[in-house]
Amino acid sequence: MDLKLAPILTISLLLLTSCGGGGSSGSGTPPPPGGGGGGSTDPVISVAEAHRFLRQASFGPTPTEVANVRDIGFEAWIDQQLLEQASLQLPYMDDLPEPENSREGQTNRLDAWFQNVLNGEDQLRQRVAFALSEIMVISDQGNLFNFPNGMADYYDKLALNAFANYPDLLKTVTLTPAMGRYLSMLGNQKPDKTLNIRPDENYAREVMQLFSIGLVMLNNDGSIILAQNDQPIPTYDQDVIEAFAHVFTGWTFYGSETFNQPSYIFRRPMIAFQEYHDEGEKFLLNDVILPAGQSAEDDLDAALENISNHANVPPFISRQLIQRLVTANPSPDYIERVSEVFIDDGSGTRGNLGAVVKTILLDPEARAEPTSDTSGKLTEPLLRLTSIWRAFNASAENDRYLFAYPEYSFSQAPLRADSVFNFFRPEFAPTGEIGKLGLVSPEMQITNETTSVLVNNYLALAIFLQHSAVAEKEVDTIYIDIEPELAIANQPEDLVDHVAEKLLGGNLSDELRAETLAMMQRWDSLEGKVVEAIYMIAASPEFATLQ
Amino acid sequence: MIPSARSADFSDYKCLVNVFLLGGNDSFNMLVPRSDAEYSIYAASRQNLAIPQEDLLPISPLNSDGALYGFHPMATGLQGLFETGDLAIVSNVGPLLEPTSKDDYLNGNATLPPQLFSHNNQQNQWQSLRGTSALSTGWAGRIADLLAEDLSGQLLPTNISTSGNSRFQSGDTSSPYTVNNSGASSYAAFRRAAEYGPERRAAFEQLLANGYGNIHSRALAEVHTRSLQYADLINEALTLVPELNTPFPETRLGRRLRIVARLLAVKDEFEVNRQIFYITTGGFDTHDTQNQDQPDLLQDLGDCMQAFQTAMAEIGLENQVTSFTQSDFGRTLSSNGDGTDHGWGAHQLVAGGAVMGRQIYGTMPVLEIDGPDDVAGGRIIPTQSADQYAATLATWFGVPESALNEIAPSLPAFNLRNLGFMT
Repeated sequence: MDLKLAPILTISLLLLTSCGGGGSSGSGTPPPPGGGGGGSTDPVISVAEAHRFLRQASFGPTPTEVANVRDIGFEAWIDQQLLEQASLQLPYMDDLPEPENSREGQTNRLDAWFQNVLNGEDQLRQRVAFALSEIMVISDQGNLFNFPNGMADYYDKLALNAFANYPDLLKTVTLTPAMGRYLSMLGNQKPDKTLNIRPDENYAREVMQLFSIGLVMLNNDGSIILAQNDQPIPTYDQDVIEAFAHVFTGWTFYGSETFNQPSYIFRRPMIAFQEYHDEGEKFLLNDVILPAGQSAEDDLDAALENISNHANVPPFISRQLIQRLVTANPSPDYIERVSEVFIDDGSGTRGNLGAVVKTILLDPEARAEPTSDTSGKLTEPLLRLTSIWRAFNASAENDRYLFAYPEYSFSQAPLRADSVFNFFRPEFAPTGEIGKLGLVSPEMQITNETTSVLVNNYLALAIFLQHSAVAEKEVDTIYIDIEPELAIANQPEDLVDHVAEKLLGGNLSDELRAETLAMMQRWDSLEGKVVEAIYMIAASPEFATLQ
Repeated sequence: MIPSARSADFSDYKCLVNVFLLGGNDSFNMLVPRSDAEYSIYAASRQNLAIPQEDLLPISPLNSDGALYGFHPMATGLQGLFETGDLAIVSNVGPLLEPTSKDDYLNGNATLPPQLFSHNNQQNQWQSLRGTSALSTGWAGRIADLLAEDLSGQLLPTNISTSGNSRFQSGDTSSPYTVNNSGASSYAAFRRAAEYGPERRAAFEQLLANGYGNIHSRALAEVHTRSLQYADLINEALTLVPELNTPFPETRLGRRLRIVARLLAVKDEFEVNRQIFYITTGGFDTHDTQNQDQPDLLQDLGDCMQAFQTAMAEIGLENQVTSFTQSDFGRTLSSNGDGTDHGWGAHQLVAGGAVMGRQIYGTMPVLEIDGPDDVAGGRIIPTQSADQYAATLATWFGVPESALNEIAPSLPAFNLRNLGFMT
């Protein structure tokens, strides 16, 4: 959308609103296409369209941001977001009192995450950082538990590099000590035959399997290339893993006096001790050979370049970013369109993630109204909560978001997966029609008879018991603000449509609307009607699905 | 078409409990040769990761290959179970699609399971036994599909998980049901104590029944429907046996095994004749600090498996419930300084009164780097397949011989269709 059109659109939207004609449900109805823009071919963005876009591109639509998108258009909104500075976790944590233990430190880290994703201006950057944190995974479940600041530093690196070039991101990820420790590249040393010691293969394996190229050769549209025997073609074999394991030797914390006396300084990239680096020849991907005698730094740069240049990276990363933001089952053409921008952003740059993200969000498959019942995705459980909290401006009196164990209720929390394989796999297909259609639904991997109830129960708590009209408040409890809803609660139809606009962009099914109204009618108190309306919609599979 | 299973009689009760050790258990430090000749080979391979010979917990198998063996010093529970005859060791099992020698492997003469040494692929292989096929179901899921008609009177799904969704329990037509550590999760907003709880539940159920115009919504709605369908039955039954006398370790695995034991104690309320449980426990991917981490892991595993067997005796099901381990893979004999890497073959454990215990099944590998069983870098080639292992358990469970190849697709490639560790 052209920025110059913005004033015209604003005027036309105002007109549409004012001549909507007193009907309370008018605000959720898409305005007629074409607008009043005098010769403009750009359609006016409806509330529903802006809402859907913001569910893809942010941690949840707010009335302000919906209006903003409708005002300036999708592309201009993205362009603004690409320029937003990153909201960081570490500076925030540094300003907090020193935590008494690691658990408190980890809770502070989650607080920093909530602060940024709920209130940060850099919504798209934070959203992409979260997606990256589920592709290039580290976790506090294991050997990073005692290092919340080091983990925050890693997350900040993801946020800072969310729109950077993929090769720079990969190098940053590789050399950040939290990753080094999590996948044991930190302290990895050259072989010692006499002691049967060989380089650790952990990072070598996962950087290829999960962070870059995957297991089998792909076309640019994400489809698997089959060999003549109809079997997939592996991207690498054990020898290649061992070669990369030799590459990733000799690195430890910055500031360490010797290789075996780690400094535990997490905030600086790892440094190399050449005498612990294997100097042999290394046979990498695509017949690339690193000559013997190179430094640890030169080997690392060449090896990461070797990975970044692999033909699989564009479709492998593009598909996962599409899945995190837009749809579980992108068409091959959609993946290919994004891959092509990954390969070359138009200026000859490979891996420009800002351009990739923009392409993902502006693609017709992301923007056109969904026509198939297989489109979209299940929203990640934790993002259902952030959507509600953003829509209803949730906060605590102490300005903190102290939520120690989100994973208990949502089966996920930032940087808290059980393993480097994340909370769910991109290829997960549940039993039933999805699997039978050959489709996937990654978020269904953490959806079962227990977790679906636990999500629902937390939403019940956060809505029924933690809202602004509660009489006796706790200083550290997070409350949603329902004052705007209370103001219209004596008109139940207006209220339900208003809540539906906040949570669903107005796309409320007749059935859900009727059941919600019926439940609201049971309450005498306005407050009861409000929270009932919010709960009924928030607990619905409709809200859990991003079409 | 799966052959009819009607020939078997399912009026008795049998139960399988899969204890999946996530990450790849280093079983060559769980069970270690104790006799001098074999120990010295092991110690030379394992170097600083070797368990001291004198610390090993001795076992006295009823069968012998001439060598002596012992468990890891912290695995007292495993030693106890083995010595009382309630535990069998199945030696050097792993994913194989056909009998495969070291030469076959090195010369590319054998069809191998895809992506050996990769965590999720090998977990999937153990759980699905798919080989190079596109099979998306797990072998417990296929058993549930196969026996669906015979077990149609059961009030709960045949497959129950304490650990969420798995390939293992995914069927073509059957779905597992997931419990939490205290039973079934119930909706706070639908309780009688909640204002308008029953009415809200009715509204929610009506909406679920109406259906949804999107596959993801429908998948979620199906899960909600199952939650509502089974939660009351499970939780009301559990009130009959609030606690067992047998104490369980307060660990993730202990709590998960305890709820399985409690569900088994009230199994009659569910009118079940065949059940399969899936339990995971993690932390076994010991790339780093193995000497610090592995003792706790093996102590927990032993203590938990022993507690579970004791609990089964307490409720009189010790001969009807069989627990068994699976894990991604074994680990390399070589080290990376203070840990080990992804291997292939590994020992597995089978416990219960129906197990022909206190025996080691299969040939123990030579734990020598570059030795006859090492395909490269200390990765031990399995001599028994995960398919044979599963088929042995499935046969005991009541899967007829005619249907075994559906459960374990690579089984026809092997002469031995039953490893003999079950009665």
